[in-house]
Amino acid sequence: MRALSTAATGMAAQQLNVEVISNNIANMNTVGFKRQRAEFQDLIYQDLEKAGAQSSDAGTVVPTGIQVGSGVKTGSVYRITSQGSMTQTSNKLDVAIQGRGYLQVQMPNGETAYTRAGNLSVNNTGQVVTDQGYPVLPQVTIPSNATDITISTSGQVQVSIPGSTTPSSVGQFQLATFVNEPGLQAMGDNLFQVSGASGPAVTGNPGAPGFGTLLQGYTEASNVDSVNEITALISAQRAYEMNSKVISTADQMLATTAQVKG
Amino acid sequence: MNNALYVGLSRQMTLKREMDVIANNIANSDTVGFKVENLMLREDVQQTSAKAGQQAGLNQKITFVHDAGVSREYTQGALKQTGGTFDLGLEGEGFFAVQTQDGTRYTRDGRFSMNAKGQLIDVAGNPVLNSSNSPIQIDPTKTQPSIAHDGSISQDGVIAGKIGMFKFADRAQLQKTGSGLFDTGGQTATADTTTKIQQGMIENSNVDAIQQMTRMISVSRAYEQVAGMMDQTGATSDESIQRLGKVAN
Repeated sequence: MRALSTAATGMAAQQLNVEVISNNIANMNTVGFKRQRAEFQDLIYQDLEKAGAQSSDAGTVVPTGIQVGSGVKTGSVYRITSQGSMTQTSNKLDVAIQGRGYLQVQMPNGETAYTRAGNLSVNNTGQVVTDQGYPVLPQVTIPSNATDITISTSGQVQVSIPGSTTPSSVGQFQLATFVNEPGLQAMGDNLFQVSGASGPAVTGNPGAPGFGTLLQGYTEASNVDSVNEITALISAQRAYEMNSKVISTADQMLATTAQVKG
Repeated sequence: MNNALYVGLSRQMTLKREMDVIANNIANSDTVGFKVENLMLREDVQQTSAKAGQQAGLNQKITFVHDAGVSREYTQGALKQTGGTFDLGLEGEGFFAVQTQDGTRYTRDGRFSMNAKGQLIDVAGNPVLNSSNSPIQIDPTKTQPSIAHDGSISQDGVIAGKIGMFKFADRAQLQKTGSGLFDTGGQTATADTTTKIQQGMIENSNVDAIQQMTRMISVSRAYEQVAGMMDQTGATSDESIQRLGKVAN
């Protein structure tokens, strides 16, 4: 009975849906996290009787045909890259990106990764690093005697040094943008890497055309909306239940057949 | 004598198929742009010759039930707000066109995105077409595109392209090819100017869960009733054989 396997695809899809939703809820307070959405599509159809087939010699045709579908599949799990809200932290090395762009991070294996999480800090050599300790590119080093750090909206990093009246520039943050941001591949730890779908990184200074700006003393909250996620969770659970009901009904019909004495 | 069994069997076969259609509707209750389907039945009349001494017209016809087609309800699905730039919901009768390997296909699923080349694509990566059937190019360095009700895409205040919308004279002839796509079924698509595109929305499936569950219950009960009828027919034939056997003794 096809209904059994059709409903099984429905249950599998809703299970994945719940997994995606639970990951969104789990990362509600993760800096720079972008929520994801499972996108479902219907599976192939079997043509039991083709529409437009001749139904008589006089040239009349079957108007609708019989197409029976075989369930649902997951087309993709899409990342929604809308802007998260800004949370004030007053930490001098927290930068939030307003608009398009990712900070570039030097991975231990030499590759470049990309992140929206701007909760940065300084390591023992004064380098600006992410919370995993990976240096941000282009590398910026804060002198140990710096009393104050200013990061401008265009990414200019300036420090105040005792004995000097004018702040001195120690570096410049750059952002990377991609043609297709949702095509980036998530690596965990808030990091992404380039994929064939994202297109190559285009780097530039914050504030340049097509690039976002930096906001010092803030972090970007996740763009997860709890109300949205909870309602999605409820409807996923109900859909799961309905599919399981289809299985039990189909089973009941098969049992009825098995019991016919004729 | 066995006609009752065969009539019952024909009903059970259609009920089983109806169950398959309902299962597909329920499995796709969360699929964007999905349109609910129903099985249509027809009566198949078979003439049997009248036996000698019988009144003409009596006992001459047996009607079987047969599935005639699957009809699709093209009613509007509810639009759900997502806020996505390239999430487009259709309000009206139109379809989007996408370029697939097998030719142009039409869809109500407006969950689009951009590929690495800056083309507007659907969930499966097929380019979305404009009204002259060519892919739509978006400049990623410009501002987030804003898409008007008629499908025109503007970036930095300049119109960058227009998403094509198409309609069909007879939507019943459209064939589903899976992945939310429709084949024209031999018709020609004409440009549609009445349908509205809503940016930041997606069209939910138009599956009514309550209706589908109720139909499922009634299919399952009808199936049991037919099985009961077949049991009854079997019992009657058993009984008649026994009685006739007794008379002969």
